[in-house]
Amino acid sequence: MKKKALKVLKTTGLVAGGFFGVTFTVYYFNLDMKMTAAMQPLLNYVYDRVERDQHL
Amino acid sequence: MMDAKEIAAKIAENLDPNKDKERLGTLYTDGKVRKRREWRGLEDTMYDYVRWLGIMGMLGKFIVKPRNIKGFFRYRWMQNYLAVPMMIDRHTQGLRGSYLRIAHTEFDLVAQDVALLLENLFKGDRNVGNDEEFSKKVVLVDENEMTTFMMGFPNLKCLSRETPSVYVSVLLNQHAAEPYIDIAQEYGLPGDVCPMPEAEMGVSIADDFPVLGACAVQCNTTCDGSLLGNGVISKRLELEDGVPCFQLAAPLRHREDDVQEYAAQEIRNTIAFIEKHTGHKWDWDNYFECAKRVNESTRHRLDWLEMNKTDYPQVFGSNLALYTETNYMAICGKLPAFVEADRKITKYAEQAYKNRAMAVKEYRHRAIVWGVQSHFYFDFLIWLQNCWGIIPLTDMLSMVSTRVLSEDDKEQAIYDMAWLQENMIMRNRTHGGYKVLLDELWDFCEEFNADTVILWEHMACKALVGMHGQFEEKAREKGIHLIWVKHDLFDPRIVSRQGIRDQINNYMRTVFMEEPLDPTLEVLPDDQSW
Amino acid sequence: MKDLKHLIYFEQLLQDANNELVQKGQAEGLKCVATVCENIPEPLLNLPGLFSVRLRAPKTGSMEMATYYMTDFLCEYTRALLERAIEGGYNFTDCMITPDGCSMLNRCVENMELLHTAKKPGYFYEYLEIPMKADDNGLNLYVLQCQNHILNAFKKNFGIDVSDEAIRKAVAEHNRMCELIRAIGDYRKPEKPAITGYEFHIITLATYVAPKHLIIPMLEETLEELKTREPDDMKYRARVVFVGSEVDDVDMIKLVEDAGAYVCADRFCYGSLPGRNPIELNDDEDALTQICRQYMYRGQCPRMMNQAKIQGRRQYVADIAEEYNADGIIYQQMKFCDPWAYERTVGSHVLNNDYDYPVLSIDRPYAVGVSGQLRTRVQAFVESIEIKKIQGGAK
Repeated sequence: MKKKALKVLKTTGLVAGGFFGVTFTVYYFNLDMKMTAAMQPLLNYVYDRVERDQHL
Repeated sequence: MMDAKEIAAKIAENLDPNKDKERLGTLYTDGKVRKRREWRGLEDTMYDYVRWLGIMGMLGKFIVKPRNIKGFFRYRWMQNYLAVPMMIDRHTQGLRGSYLRIAHTEFDLVAQDVALLLENLFKGDRNVGNDEEFSKKVVLVDENEMTTFMMGFPNLKCLSRETPSVYVSVLLNQHAAEPYIDIAQEYGLPGDVCPMPEAEMGVSIADDFPVLGACAVQCNTTCDGSLLGNGVISKRLELEDGVPCFQLAAPLRHREDDVQEYAAQEIRNTIAFIEKHTGHKWDWDNYFECAKRVNESTRHRLDWLEMNKTDYPQVFGSNLALYTETNYMAICGKLPAFVEADRKITKYAEQAYKNRAMAVKEYRHRAIVWGVQSHFYFDFLIWLQNCWGIIPLTDMLSMVSTRVLSEDDKEQAIYDMAWLQENMIMRNRTHGGYKVLLDELWDFCEEFNADTVILWEHMACKALVGMHGQFEEKAREKGIHLIWVKHDLFDPRIVSRQGIRDQINNYMRTVFMEEPLDPTLEVLPDDQSW
Repeated sequence: MKDLKHLIYFEQLLQDANNELVQKGQAEGLKCVATVCENIPEPLLNLPGLFSVRLRAPKTGSMEMATYYMTDFLCEYTRALLERAIEGGYNFTDCMITPDGCSMLNRCVENMELLHTAKKPGYFYEYLEIPMKADDNGLNLYVLQCQNHILNAFKKNFGIDVSDEAIRKAVAEHNRMCELIRAIGDYRKPEKPAITGYEFHIITLATYVAPKHLIIPMLEETLEELKTREPDDMKYRARVVFVGSEVDDVDMIKLVEDAGAYVCADRFCYGSLPGRNPIELNDDEDALTQICRQYMYRGQCPRMMNQAKIQGRRQYVADIAEEYNADGIIYQQMKFCDPWAYERTVGSHVLNNDYDYPVLSIDRPYAVGVSGQLRTRVQAFVESIEIKKIQGGAK
């Protein structure tokens, strides 16, 4: 029982640690914004093809 | 051997959150985004990280919904929402402790509110969700109008199309409005008009507005440009999309007694219009609940402004300006969450005030920021304090009505609503005679013990620039340093962010003969930045 | 065509704000009321004992002082007025009545007030709130504002009789002038008009800047002359309606006509449509309310924002174009005029797309002089109308 609890704790700790590590890396090195900045020019390709009724 | 005083000073210096701050300019690149986020010390960095997680969670929840994905790919302006986390980063640059917490309390809440606005717009939008039953409960409002007339309609949705498409977009990405400005000009609109209604007109021409609603209420606030741009928008919205539009006329000379009855009747007419087109009846109980919230928000705002008159201001700069705009105008007492935020902010501010906290290591100048701010560079206020130690104690858009609304008198309530409508942010100063724009500025300088006025000169704002010479002469007479900052509101191609900074840099170096607190912020390669 | 007897005199009147008739009126003991906008009902400024002068700044050269105060982003009309005021050019006036209409005019007058440009003791400024919609609420506002800021002000400061009877007397004189102008203007309708657009503009402008009672006799004589005036063979190649913001520059219409386009109708501020429409009064209601109602409903100012007014403005232009047999429309605005920037943009499209009129859309400085750019634009427009006629596609 104690072993199982320790195992759960260990796994949780690893997962949490991993989550923190990954997310903090993304946060600190601004990887989220770098990724979306790279995506943005591609979006204009999509928007230019949307059918619009342009008039006054 | 140090004495007790010296030891205490040393401890204070070491505990000073402004000590050893990063050189913020080194984080900039010549691309859209920064190299990395700021290190604010362990505690504040962890706090900022956790808030960032919250924002990412919120954005994730938004974008996984199929309807929102459809909306994202339908509207060109939606791409700017990729920059939401960066906008929050920009407005928290250099902040620590209570200042950081106040900023997050405000900006995270505003981000949530805008996300909800987008969800609602897409839900009812004929191009996206097309939920007709929902759409029947929607009343469209201008971005540039007080929403007092919705305070008594608890079951209707008060949505603004211009807010997410134009206004917020430019706060997120300085280049956001350019395609729409260009479209309006391609159709013949001259380039000297205010870019705000110009961009809104461009969105309408480009068929890039969601289409929904039982009816719409347009208003002549802020100015001639809004009034006229609305005419273009309603041509399509009413005559083609079939959404009935009511034009609410708020008198210009709002300080005069003989316009108040007209203003009040306009409110009565607006309410009648909404009742007619939605089938919902005005609810006085709900109105008075909202009025109580407005009054409480007013009290909090007054408390913050009182603190700002002292040597230890706490809620200022973007923390005051952008939040006041949202809370006072768009929210107008309708959401309890904003009153809760007000209370939290006051708590942070009071605690920080007791501790004599400062936002930067040195307060060199106390400034009143006047005029119409540039939306593509709202974080200019943060830059002022970080780069030059100029503390923007308050700004024109935060000096709004402080009238206490009646919480039980129905007749007085109509006049209160009319009063608020007339005293929309910015408009309460740019219109109504020269006293409200010119004379009262100097009173505020005295009250806030300001030695400097940063005067945003929005070149297309004729109501403001028409008083240019008077501002100069009065500033000279009063011995106040007046620093003009020219810009074109939504269009950084006319005056760039560096162009704006250079106007301050030049004055600080040549007149004040000072060196910056953070030299790395003086010149930044952010022409392409979000 | 034979020269009109009074044309040169009218041209001379327009060279100076403080012209001969203004001086004559003041010598008669009348008070001179300065105004800047068509949204102030003119008869109320011309009660017995008063006459109104709509401010112009003829022969404007530099506007440097005004530009310092107002910057170069405001329309030149307002800057020209402020410059002239600073120079003392309006010191002959006794008061200023202005609406808080467009921001620029408002700032112009406020600057005049703050700079104390008017030197006469007891000089006063009154600013009116004017309706932005034509409806009952707007009418109530209009009446109240005119009562408070015009009539009460005149009574208090000048001891003027502001009774219903006095107002009706002023309306009668105003209407006589309007009837004459409209009758003169009708001579523009035939294929071979007996009056040029330029001549008509001069005559109409003169009625804005001089006491009505002194100008009416000359208008009557002019009308008589026109009855027998032999029109020239039409030297113009197209007939156009000139629409837009204020035109008080005598060279503007001349330029258009020299470029080959006959200005058959004038739908602009300082013009006759609708500025010289008579006011119809009955005995069932007080004169003030009736005047305000008619000004509110007939006004073509783009700041009127209800849908009926917005659509009505374009319909009005189309109606005038039909009435005056126009081939095309020139939409113009003063540079930096916000209201007409939007109105011109949309109006140009609507009149072209929905009403099938060829439209030229231009912006212009306050004093056009002999602008080559504008001349070229108008010439090209005239040619395009001609080509369209030849191809059988004209309106």
